[in-house]
Amino acid sequence: MDFNFSDEQNMLREAARGFCEKMSPMGYVLEMEKDEKGYTEELWQGMANLGWMGLIIPEAYGGVGLKFLDMIVLLEEMGRMCVPGPFFSTTILGTLPILHAGSEEQKNDFLPKVASGELKLTLAYTEPGMTVYEPTHIEVSAALKGDSYCINGTKLFVPDAHVADHIVCLVRTNGSPMEKDGLTLLVADAKAAGITINCLNTLAGDKLCEVVFDNVMVPRRNLLGKEGGVWPIIEKVLQYAAVGTCAQMVGGAAKVLDLALDYAKQRVQFGKPIGAFQAVQHHFANMAIALQGSKFITYKAAWLLDEGLPSKRVTSAAKAWVSEAYKKFVILGHQIFAGTGFMEEHEMPMYSRRARAAELAFGDANYHRQVVAGEINL
Amino acid sequence: MDFGYTAEEEKFRERLNAFLDQEMTEELARQNWEDLGVGPEAREFSKKLYENGFLGLPWPKEYGGQGLSPTYDFILIDELGKRWGAHVPLDIGYTMVGHTILRRGSDAMKKGFIPRIIKGEIEFGLGYTEPNAGSDLASMMMKAEDKGDYFLINGQKTFNTESHYSDYHWLAARTDFDPGKPKYKGISLFIVDQNSPGIDIRPMITMSGERTNEVYYDDVKVPKDRLVGEKNNGFYYIMEAIDSERNHVFVPARLWPIVDEMISYAKNTMYCGKSLADDPVVRSKIAQMAIELEVAQMLADNARWLELHDLRMTMEPEITKVMISELEQRMVDDAMQILGLYGQLNEKSKYAPLRGRIEWFYLHSFMPTIGAGTSEIGRNVIAQRGLGLPRG
Repeated sequence: MDFNFSDEQNMLREAARGFCEKMSPMGYVLEMEKDEKGYTEELWQGMANLGWMGLIIPEAYGGVGLKFLDMIVLLEEMGRMCVPGPFFSTTILGTLPILHAGSEEQKNDFLPKVASGELKLTLAYTEPGMTVYEPTHIEVSAALKGDSYCINGTKLFVPDAHVADHIVCLVRTNGSPMEKDGLTLLVADAKAAGITINCLNTLAGDKLCEVVFDNVMVPRRNLLGKEGGVWPIIEKVLQYAAVGTCAQMVGGAAKVLDLALDYAKQRVQFGKPIGAFQAVQHHFANMAIALQGSKFITYKAAWLLDEGLPSKRVTSAAKAWVSEAYKKFVILGHQIFAGTGFMEEHEMPMYSRRARAAELAFGDANYHRQVVAGEINL
Repeated sequence: MDFGYTAEEEKFRERLNAFLDQEMTEELARQNWEDLGVGPEAREFSKKLYENGFLGLPWPKEYGGQGLSPTYDFILIDELGKRWGAHVPLDIGYTMVGHTILRRGSDAMKKGFIPRIIKGEIEFGLGYTEPNAGSDLASMMMKAEDKGDYFLINGQKTFNTESHYSDYHWLAARTDFDPGKPKYKGISLFIVDQNSPGIDIRPMITMSGERTNEVYYDDVKVPKDRLVGEKNNGFYYIMEAIDSERNHVFVPARLWPIVDEMISYAKNTMYCGKSLADDPVVRSKIAQMAIELEVAQMLADNARWLELHDLRMTMEPEITKVMISELEQRMVDDAMQILGLYGQLNEKSKYAPLRGRIEWFYLHSFMPTIGAGTSEIGRNVIAQRGLGLPRG
């Protein structure tokens, strides 16, 4: 057992912290929430230059070839500063299906360009019919017509589709909603005829999109993996995404704790810093418990994924627990900052709005509890 | 990062489980878990644990141990916990007292006590709490006067849970009464023969049926060589040991039996022609238990890992303690809700589900958030020692 990060991981963290603090201060984050695109080229290029886009892409495809735990370090630091942009969509959601299901040729086509920062990707799987989160509930259909698949239907909550070059789409080529068989992955050119993309107005100001497919033709060579048989791959990709989201929440929580601690040591009421009052200290103790628990269950899940060990139970446990822990965490943060933290331009709302978005992404606690129930043979 | 065990450790666990399959009964587990008093069977079981090579692995070779990693003791405690055994049968000696003797005791004391602790032969009762010294332990008043070749001890302890079946009393008493000195600087630790003349042990029965005790000292003579470490340093020794004690005592594994029992109950109980295990609310509640235990296990593993590597612990064991004790209450609450009307039946009732275990756990669950330091004191420690907030 070893709870230490390696020296390399610590260096990565240090570099990431410096970059994110410099490039993504609060003013920038709030400005980008209102910006149509949602990030700047300068930020994107900066990350590309540091090799982050290819961090977990194997060296054979132009990446750095590091492990998911390394990515966790990076995501924690990005979560800490609420770094905007299509990084997560590209490097996790778009890249992993290609990495896990793509042919050699497809990997060679896409991954080096992702690693260099040239291509932006995303994954479209959630749909309007998913009123309760259930990733097998896929109705958007694709039918083979000659040498192309024809996609019809609407995808919803697709992150960063508005800036993606390619959209990896989970579509149904067979069966009915909730069936695991019949699910297929296609890589669609985001500029293809028949695709309409609209950004939704969201709580966190992140860029979740509606993507309408109206007879969109995708060439057969852009089929990832087996037609009708990609559920196991999607399930795995969504595990990575859930754990990656946990890491962002962990980073956000760590930052909120730092901010609140500073404040509680300085803010004087009744002649004492408020951090000297037990009621306030107990809020902090609860935050510490939430943060420590969130960290270690996230690292355990990431480690299981890296080791190729059975990971379904722990990744779902992580997403269920961290989602709820972070939600409670930001409530306590608001209590400590009180009125000042209720102001629009304060850091607190930036984190509490994102806490909800992260809770809902890739399955909330209710969804993941049901997964865990299955995994403990209930 | 690496969250796996070594091949040797896994082999040990396997061998241990094979042994426990044969030897560990629920009755045995209840003897030590419920503090009904460790009886002859539990003492016999303790000896068997030693004889089969499961006790003493991390302890120094010169006192009968094998000098291996403390991980082996953690595995032992985890596997016992998963079978309703909260700890090794004679656990105060093995998980608390022994480590302090090793750290602070004289050579003679180490030679005299450690080998017998490792062999599972002797048990100690903790003698800390007094009627006026609970959370504020340093204000204890039990008096130990230095009489030259012995200490003369007078006073009263309370909530001394193991006293009625242990061989020795691990006693904290005041040896300096100077009101000008801080209270915690005048306390010493002693090992007292439990059958010394002048000791009177009176039972106190808890709401969950465990026995704990009041212990009265009336002119009890304790030989000089039974002073642990240096005089007036006892409180420091108690505090020094507290993190390791939490790591050994507050073990998430001991709550897994609730999950296992509830899974089997849900699968085997019908409502309106359907299994309870098909009810999403029931599934959600039981899954939440498993999720929180998974998190608690990581917190415990982290604190243990710090201890294994002699790294500084500030709040980690306290976090585990607060988390697990409150988790027990949440788990029992959910379990009782699932059991419905039947949940209130105790084990004597023919209708009692799960042998009345959950009903008992409900009663028990009020203790862990209080015993060994309340959750409130725990949160003070986390905030002040862990996060550096000022004392009020």
